[in-house]
Amino acid sequence: MTRFIFFLLLIMANSVSYAGNIAVTLLDNQQKPLVNAVVYLLPKTASVEPVENMAIMDQVDTQFYPHILAVQRNTQVSFPNSDSIQHHVYSFSSAKVFELELYKGLRADPLLFDNLGVVEMGCNVHDWMLGYIYVVDTPYFKKSGSAGEVTINVPDGEYTLNAWHPRISDSPESFQMMLSVKGDTQIKMSVPSALLPDVNAFEDSADEFGEYE
Amino acid sequence: MRWPRFGPAMLLGFYIIVGWQNPVSAQQFSGLIQVNIVHGGDHTPWLDKGTGILAYQDNAVHLQQGVLRVADRLSSSFSYDVSANLYQLGEQRLGISQATIHYKPLSHRQVRFKSRAGFFYPRLSLENVDLGWLSPYTYTQSAINSWVGEELRIAGIEGSLFSSGRSRRSPLTWEVTAGAFKGNDTLGTVLSWRGFAMHDRQSLHNDRVVFANYPTVVDPNGIFHPSYVEPFHELDSRVGYYLGAHLNYYHSSKVRYYFYDNQANPNVVNSQRLYAWRTKFHSLALSHDVTPNGRFIAQWLTGSSHMGQRFVYINFDAYYVMYSHKVGSHRFSARYDDFNVGEDDIFPDDPNNSDGQAVTFAWRYTIDKNWQVGLEQHFNRNSADIRSTLGEQQRQNQQQTLAVAQYRWR
Repeated sequence: MTRFIFFLLLIMANSVSYAGNIAVTLLDNQQKPLVNAVVYLLPKTASVEPVENMAIMDQVDTQFYPHILAVQRNTQVSFPNSDSIQHHVYSFSSAKVFELELYKGLRADPLLFDNLGVVEMGCNVHDWMLGYIYVVDTPYFKKSGSAGEVTINVPDGEYTLNAWHPRISDSPESFQMMLSVKGDTQIKMSVPSALLPDVNAFEDSADEFGEYE
Repeated sequence: MRWPRFGPAMLLGFYIIVGWQNPVSAQQFSGLIQVNIVHGGDHTPWLDKGTGILAYQDNAVHLQQGVLRVADRLSSSFSYDVSANLYQLGEQRLGISQATIHYKPLSHRQVRFKSRAGFFYPRLSLENVDLGWLSPYTYTQSAINSWVGEELRIAGIEGSLFSSGRSRRSPLTWEVTAGAFKGNDTLGTVLSWRGFAMHDRQSLHNDRVVFANYPTVVDPNGIFHPSYVEPFHELDSRVGYYLGAHLNYYHSSKVRYYFYDNQANPNVVNSQRLYAWRTKFHSLALSHDVTPNGRFIAQWLTGSSHMGQRFVYINFDAYYVMYSHKVGSHRFSARYDDFNVGEDDIFPDDPNNSDGQAVTFAWRYTIDKNWQVGLEQHFNRNSADIRSTLGEQQRQNQQQTLAVAQYRWR
């Protein structure tokens, strides 16, 4: 029995020492929270296991939903159409050039996102639609909440902490932070330059009668 | 009643061609049917050769609208849409009201190009934004767009440069557009003699719009014109044009300006004795969402039309202001219209002055994705000098109550 308790304690001690919760607060250059940004930790040494994930970028009320989707490289992204009208989604971004006709009731085949970086998407029917898929080379990523907060659980080790949002004009590499993770950590991360203009009001409900012109 | 010579055949042919070229077909069919119960007035509508400016006289059940729209993409850059209409009123009961091929190539540029060709409306109205160019606000449309629907359509091409504000990180989206067309030479005929009217009947491709047998119009010793017009004829081989500009602030505010000139030769007359009318106008429309559920819409139209050697010359001027408010599935709309036609021609015996004011109140309740019901009450007071040539009072007060059930699918 004593041996068993000792073994259990050893396992617990090992598990505590090998992982940590990284709590990041992402702020803009005015020290205000940056919401809905992709925050991700790139392992410096350990190799990233290949994944076979699926993700969804939906069309809801003539908007991309979610507006920003973060995926790990080699994720298949499905594009359902929850609207009762047709969409014609396209991207000219070097990370993924594509176009998809999304008919009501017909499901398009998922697309493989195997290149890193930003994929900016529009709709050729509804010019106000704009959405992003951000492809990262790590399983450790999340989007920031309303206070700019993110908590990511990672194994102990060396990482670079990065953040991306379409309003950030700086490249993620220009303000990334080196982290040596050993247990839980709290970090504030600030974007150096002023954010690009906020035009998120385009996400407000589109004109319900605008589709017949 | 006139049945179309080639309306349904054209639609069917178009559909077959498109279906053949696009075997993985995903045509989008949408449409609606509106049936009404009317409590009308005593004045005979122009549709029945009277001088009333409202569509209904019978207190009865009518098919108010029947619209079928077919749309699809032909390729990455090309798409089409066709709208066919079924009416109980008017001369032609079944036919095409719009048929358009759109070209909109994908581009990563901030300023993009698109164009369209076919038979369509210039996009000057912010009222007629629903399926089949209908108004989602009231059933009886504004005087301006009632006239546009019955006399104006172009057979031509339109090219536009546009820039989505979102792609530039700007709240402002803009578009400039230009169109060139043939047909529509008779534009202004009905407006000159009958004046503005208020209804929701759009003329079909091969349609004929009738009006009263005004003696000064039909008299062989007078102007000698039939008491009808076929609105989409080409008479003089001239090309008309229009220019437009759109500016939107996010989704909440929209402004549109158009200048339209059919460039018609007013001295050309065909074998039916239909004249080409030189008609040009400015249109300014705006829409502003004062709250997420409250929308203000207005439009102003001013222009002139003439035929012959100034046999008829009119200046016309009209505006409306509307407020529409949505509460859940209920939409309440109220509109005030003011319209005026003033003459300045060489035939004083053919009086063309007319004017009027109107208020329209509508309630529309969307029950589910298919069904909607609504009520509308309309009042107007209008005057037309030409009624005196028929022994009628120039000034008339009209009112109309509509109860409407609508079934919609897509």
